[in-house]
Amino acid sequence: MDKQIEELLPFYVLGALTDEEREQVETYLRAHPEARAQLDEMSKTVSALPYGTKPVEPARRTKNALMARIAVDERARAPKADQPFRRGVRGENIIRTFTLGIATLAIVWVMILNSQIGRLRSEISNLNNALIAQSNELQQINAKLPQTPLPETVTISLKGTDVRPQAQGQLIADPNSQSAVLVISGLAKLQPGKTYQVWLIDGGGPKSAGLLAVDANGQGVLIVTSELSIGSFQALGISVEPNGGSKQPTGDIVVLSDI
Amino acid sequence: MTRSKNANDVSVRIKSESSLLPSQQLSDEILAARVVQGDSAALEALYDRHASIVLGVLLKVIGDRALAEDALQETFWRVWKSASSYEPQRGSFTGWLFRIARNLAIDAHRRVNVRPQVLGNADDMDSLADRTPDPDKDVPEQAQADLRNRQVRSALAALPRVQRLVIEMAYFYGMTRQEIAEATGEALGTIHTRARLGLQKLREELDREDFEG
Repeated sequence: MDKQIEELLPFYVLGALTDEEREQVETYLRAHPEARAQLDEMSKTVSALPYGTKPVEPARRTKNALMARIAVDERARAPKADQPFRRGVRGENIIRTFTLGIATLAIVWVMILNSQIGRLRSEISNLNNALIAQSNELQQINAKLPQTPLPETVTISLKGTDVRPQAQGQLIADPNSQSAVLVISGLAKLQPGKTYQVWLIDGGGPKSAGLLAVDANGQGVLIVTSELSIGSFQALGISVEPNGGSKQPTGDIVVLSDI
Repeated sequence: MTRSKNANDVSVRIKSESSLLPSQQLSDEILAARVVQGDSAALEALYDRHASIVLGVLLKVIGDRALAEDALQETFWRVWKSASSYEPQRGSFTGWLFRIARNLAIDAHRRVNVRPQVLGNADDMDSLADRTPDPDKDVPEQAQADLRNRQVRSALAALPRVQRLVIEMAYFYGMTRQEIAEATGEALGTIHTRARLGLQKLREELDREDFEG
């Protein structure tokens, strides 16, 4: 092997060459595929290095924020379901004729195997019911998600006020959209009769963006909605309010951050 | 042709394995293929399996917990967005994942300029005992991760410190051989030798430990 390439190879697998040096090695490897074996062996060794670091369990909120971000992206990727189904009149006639033929055959078939068909119909009916139930459930879930696909999202860090400095979270949003995902942690469990309320704040003052439920670990996720685009607001706040929420913040403000 | 055949093999494996097994029992490569298809549960399974080791790397390089957590989220976000660029026939999924994390870490490190730390020191060694178990990880997976961690630490600890330092400066901090020579005050030729011998020795020690990556 070329002496200079031999010197560069360890740094190539360690990912520590300049662009020019890396190109030099790759050109050599293209011309000398036999050198791949040595390279693969070194790569295998280097890929073990991360296992030698001290593993650290991530904070729960990191995973929550990631999965919320992915949920928003999935929503944006989903194909639109309201495309009209179109077909020509001639096509309809062909289908009708074909359907009639099938129906005639089906009647004969029903006369011969009536009991089996009945059983199959019953199974199909059950499956249809299950499908309808799942479809309804999906619609309910979709209704809770942002209604507008979000092609580009940004993540905004949120911090607690002096009242609740442990509070922190993220707002994941397309600034042009009217909805966003709020992921928050470090909030205190509230006394009965109290709730957290989220506010979007612009020059006209705070506007309610929904009530936030928090679990026993002080974590909560909320789909924030607004009549105006999220990017038109200057700040986001969370306050403690009586159950059912208030028209304006009345209690302690536990989170307040510029967005 | 070979690549196409491999891709078909993977596709067949996805269909046969993924329909029968829960995510936790699927290989990284199968899960990555499912991420390409938009399966967020597969991404979550990969996160549960590898996030702690990735965060370990990020924290070591960046040195700031909050920035490292941000980089962790960004790492798996990139897996989600660009899983289609991962090619199983060119290497393991973890190799690809760690490269993403490492590049993000080096970028962040250059911004915050944290002083490098060497792996395998005594203060790193006590980490396993005081680590809180992740409830999302299954026990055999956790045990396997712990075993790999011990094996690599042991292999690294067997390297002469000067060789280990060169490897770590290059891999974790993205320092070029010239930068390493300048930082250590050694000749470039010496740095070449230390890197080459260090990787050879590390391979021998990993084989001695029966390490399976």
